[in-house]
Amino acid sequence: MRPAAESNEFRRDLVSVLPKLRRFAMTLTRNAADADDLVQEVCERAITRNHLWNGEGRLESWIYAMTRNLWIDEIRKRKVRTGGGTVDAAEQDELSVEASGEKAVYANQLHKMILSMPEGLASVFVLVNVEGHSYREAADILKIPIGTVMSRLSTARMRLAAMITETTERRA
Amino acid sequence: MQNTKGLALEVRLSAYLDGEVSETERKELEQLVARDDEARMLLEMLKAGNAFGNKAFEEFLHDPVPLSLVRRIKQGPGVNPKAERVVNAAPRQTKVRLWPRALAASITLLLIGSSTGYIIGRTSNDGTPSVNVAAARTWLDDIADYHRIYSRQTAEHLVEVPASSGAKIESWLASSVGVSFSLPDLSTRGLTFEGARLLVAGGKPVAQLMYKNEDGDVFAICFLKSKPGTSDGNMAESIRDDLAMISWQKGGASYVVVGPSSDANLQQVADTVSTAI
Repeated sequence: MRPAAESNEFRRDLVSVLPKLRRFAMTLTRNAADADDLVQEVCERAITRNHLWNGEGRLESWIYAMTRNLWIDEIRKRKVRTGGGTVDAAEQDELSVEASGEKAVYANQLHKMILSMPEGLASVFVLVNVEGHSYREAADILKIPIGTVMSRLSTARMRLAAMITETTERRA
Repeated sequence: MQNTKGLALEVRLSAYLDGEVSETERKELEQLVARDDEARMLLEMLKAGNAFGNKAFEEFLHDPVPLSLVRRIKQGPGVNPKAERVVNAAPRQTKVRLWPRALAASITLLLIGSSTGYIIGRTSNDGTPSVNVAAARTWLDDIADYHRIYSRQTAEHLVEVPASSGAKIESWLASSVGVSFSLPDLSTRGLTFEGARLLVAGGKPVAQLMYKNEDGDVFAICFLKSKPGTSDGNMAESIRDDLAMISWQKGGASYVVVGPSSDANLQQVADTVSTAI
């Protein structure tokens, strides 16, 4: 068992990565409700297993790998239970936005559009491009080959570039 | 370093952008981009995708993380994952910003200027400028920025008027911001009053009362006069990176309590302030 002070420090660190953790969860689940449930479960597991965190490297990497594993488990359970999987962002009526008005609708569409990229693209993009993980780190977190990281990353970038034109046309 | 030879050009250029190719490949790709219009256009598209995606995903960080979850983590013996869903713990508030449109427009202009020109065989050297449009900021954005700066100041520069001038602070700030108030005693919450500042946020004068806890963490109460006709509202919680903010409307004024996001008792502090101020 870890000393209380060390445990408190871990909890504090965990709180500090919550916004990033929620964003990463969104890239996996591609809808807000599932992401929030996933974040809850990850936090519970991280706290109960914080003695396994060796303090080396980035805490996010350890937490993200746990998040990915829990999400894969959840998908498997759902497939067994219902024969279905997740609901893609593109198929949902609304994401997490509760504001109103034209601008809010636009923000909603933008979130939906980004999260509706084919499975796996957003996660790789966030890990490497947004948060600066190396290809190796991203591959370890997502448990995919580095070659897959590379191809998903370039595909994500090209898709995002195409969205620039799409969003401009929608707003015109 | 990755060996990308034999892979699709966009994959190779993507790895080049990330510095994940060897020195030899880097030089090879740079030479290719220098002489090949299509390669150059691909590279520009990848860069544009980067910029667009970075901005878009950064926006996700502005979604509030409920303090109920923070408290569970901070205080636990453990969290109960299903007892309190994040989605229900706090109303999600989306800050609507103008940047997506501005970004899309500027990057599209850039792409048109730098890439399409090659396709149609014309040279465009007019350096299409990017369009910078300020995001729609609220007074809470300003308060968060102020707090990040002032909370890192030494004790000497933490406040404008020290706590020893308590009565003067009340009259000074009340007349400056147009909101009558009493200095809240937060000693029961472990916070010591350090003094006050007058700020400008959202284009209006704002009173800022600064407190510290035993660990030296800085907490602030900020308030300003609301627009006429603004009705009282419930407290709203949000986390902005390392800061937690609880804001509310009451009696014709807007209030916010700011503290470290890792503090588990901010809600109790806000409750006390709401009653005492």
